[in-house]
Amino acid sequence: MLVMRRRAGESFLIGTDIELEILEVGPTRVKIGITAPASLAILRKEVALTRAQNLSAAQPAPPDTIAWLSEKLSASRERSEPQP
Amino acid sequence: MSRLPSRYFGELEYSPDAAFQFAAGIPGFDDQTAFIFLEQPKNHPLVFMQSLVRPDLCFIAVPVFVADPRYKLHLSPEDRELLELSAPPEPQIEADLICLALVTLSDGADPTVNLASPIVLNLKNRKGVQSIQECSGYSMQHPLSPSVEKPPCS
Repeated sequence: MLVMRRRAGESFLIGTDIELEILEVGPTRVKIGITAPASLAILRKEVALTRAQNLSAAQPAPPDTIAWLSEKLSASRERSEPQP
Repeated sequence: MSRLPSRYFGELEYSPDAAFQFAAGIPGFDDQTAFIFLEQPKNHPLVFMQSLVRPDLCFIAVPVFVADPRYKLHLSPEDRELLELSAPPEPQIEADLICLALVTLSDGADPTVNLASPIVLNLKNRKGVQSIQECSGYSMQHPLSPSVEKPPCS
């Protein structure tokens, strides 16, 4: 990974048409301004990961698997309930 | 009452008031703006999140506390706005909000739940959002089986 040090107000370029500018540096967050062609999708990484996970979760489950999972979860709840 | 073909339960009859509105959809399904949540005694504690837009789309979820009894939810200002939550008091899971983790059941792999982006429902106004937890340390693929099989330590 390429690592660069920048201060607020400084920027860098990726290729010729993407510019990232550091707008503000706070104690726990940085604010970044992005200039890029409209055709490029820009997503927070966790949104992209959530999207991929949602696509897997949307796959239909066979009825047997659903029955097996609910049985397993109920059994574990019953075991854990008498305990504080 | 309205009727809808559903993924797992055939033709469903439901009251339109029971639907939850997801103004922004959820990532990957931006156009899915309304879901109903179904529970069945025989499938307890699973919750089925059936789309009202696409009959073949139904997620399987569990209440977050089933996966992690000490789960802590953090709502960003954007999520609070989408849920139309007013300022304090802090809403309570199970009293004001329902918080569910989506289950992934892949062929041959152990089931996992997404604790990093739970589905949060506001029971007062029936708004819903998928709330991405920033820097929470929660996993999008939290194993559902090990904690299930291990007896809880006390």
